[in-house]
Amino acid sequence: MFKFDTLGLTYAFWTLRIWLGLRALVAGLEKFSAKINVQQPLLDQNGVADPSGAVVEVEKKIYGFTHYQAIPDTLQDKFSNEPLLPGFLTTPFYVVLGYVLILLGVALLLGIRTREVLFGMGLLYSILTVGLILIGQEQGVAWLGIHVLVVAAALALVPYNRWTVTRT
Amino acid sequence: MTPFDLDRRKFLQTAAAAGAALVLTRPGQLLGQTPPPPGPNSDELRIALIGVGAQGRVLMDDTLKIPNVRFVAVCDIWDYNLTYGQRYLKKNRFPVNAYHDFEDMLSKEKSLDAVIVATPDFWHAPITNACLKSGLHVYCEKMMSNTIDAARTMVQTMRETGKLLQIGHQRRSNPRYLVALHRLIEEAKIPGRITTINGQWNRAVAADLGWPQRYTIAPDVLKRYGFDDMHMFRNWRWFKKCGGGPLSDLGAHQIDIFNWFLGTPPVNVLAGGGNDYYPNHEWFDNAMVIYEYDRPEGVTRAFYQVQTTTSAGGGYYEQFMGTEGTIKMSEDPNYTAIYREANAPDWEKWINLHYLATTSAQAADDDDAASKVDARETAELVSYKLPVILNKPPHQPHLENFFSAIHGKAKLNCPGDEAFRSEVCIHKASEAVLARTMLYLKPEDFVA
Repeated sequence: MFKFDTLGLTYAFWTLRIWLGLRALVAGLEKFSAKINVQQPLLDQNGVADPSGAVVEVEKKIYGFTHYQAIPDTLQDKFSNEPLLPGFLTTPFYVVLGYVLILLGVALLLGIRTREVLFGMGLLYSILTVGLILIGQEQGVAWLGIHVLVVAAALALVPYNRWTVTRT
Repeated sequence: MTPFDLDRRKFLQTAAAAGAALVLTRPGQLLGQTPPPPGPNSDELRIALIGVGAQGRVLMDDTLKIPNVRFVAVCDIWDYNLTYGQRYLKKNRFPVNAYHDFEDMLSKEKSLDAVIVATPDFWHAPITNACLKSGLHVYCEKMMSNTIDAARTMVQTMRETGKLLQIGHQRRSNPRYLVALHRLIEEAKIPGRITTINGQWNRAVAADLGWPQRYTIAPDVLKRYGFDDMHMFRNWRWFKKCGGGPLSDLGAHQIDIFNWFLGTPPVNVLAGGGNDYYPNHEWFDNAMVIYEYDRPEGVTRAFYQVQTTTSAGGGYYEQFMGTEGTIKMSEDPNYTAIYREANAPDWEKWINLHYLATTSAQAADDDDAASKVDARETAELVSYKLPVILNKPPHQPHLENFFSAIHGKAKLNCPGDEAFRSEVCIHKASEAVLARTMLYLKPEDFVA
């Protein structure tokens, strides 16, 4: 008789839960990041400032609400030319995208309403896919398709979920 | 000659008005980039500007950004320039005396510490020598002169008087160039052995300079100062008795960098060129030069071209090409790049020290072999950038170095004797163009 290894399935779900949770959380956080050029004195191998007083521009990554950008400008420009993506739909979507990704990621990692969160995640990736289909970015479509498949697999394994804040 | 339009009473009135205005100025306005307020200050240098043309105005503007330097006089034979300089400085809270003649200025301005000379080249030597002999330090624009002999007298006077003479090869004080030489070439040895140099400055055709008719200088005044007519006065760079032609105007900056970076002058020069476009110019408009440098590690050949009939060819730069890498320098950061040869040792250490930085478009994949004309063609070099920035105008650090040297806080970055070596190279290149032959340079040619 075929016997399910329930512990193994629980581990399989946790693996998906952690991966999908971190994927959404970090992707959301990255939308609040920016690369800025910081000026600092040029130091030699001994840490001594160059006698010329030279200043170097070094690229640094920083995070902050003021740096929030849902998607790169180049993509936004392309979407704005798409008749099926009107501004009254895309503008509010851009406003909430980063926050939604963080919320979904945190909720999944903590185990808050896991089923609904996973479904929401699948829905979000599907919405993102629509934009990429319209501008013909087939690689991006395939990339998001993999995400959706992983979400679907996680939904199928939800019954084996353990250690959650709320009931699955 | 007398001061141009300010007598003592007017000067005092202006100074008093400026002082009153200063009292009413909010303290915050005195901070930042603005010059210090007029008033007694033991560290303050009192200077004059001789020559208020295009280059003089650049130096005037940059000097205004330097604290503890006060303009007290301007001098120019052309009212148009003189009035501009006087008004501009007054607007910047420096009421100055104005003079047509530098000897008149030297006889009346007894409180000067230094002068900035930005006249046509053939006046550099007489003015610089007179100023040095009057006990003043001199910042003189390049070229030193339109002849080697006159330039030599400047070095001799500098030595005799013990005064400072800085020549305006401003790249020598530019931290981007200083880092390229001392960090990238000398310390990190990024290019390996420098075998070749390639430099150029190409400019589009341009009409001769004109002038407002009401500002035409009287013929006797022009003659007194060595100009045949107003056209020659405005376009002196193209006349042999006034300037040194395009190798002197544009090439001087870059050929000076060749010598500076290699640490030695060349041993011979081969050149070609001609008057290809401008019928009314005495000097050639296009020239191509090859210098040969004999260095302990081997010969380095330097190609330099200056074209004043086309701006094509990738701007202006000096490219030091070696066995392990190439450093392409330019005063314009957009033209600056560093290229790595495939056989070069690891540069990670220098990248971590920020001596150079990776670029966003650094992939040099060799996957488009089909597009190559020859199977033996070398792969495209990976490029890096120089992360050093100059956050002030290009001439300001060189002026700052001059003023610091006067205070005894720095050594001149381009003293007259150092600049003289480049002066010889440049004049010899022009000589080679005209002679259509290779000229050999002897060590004694560089002795001033």
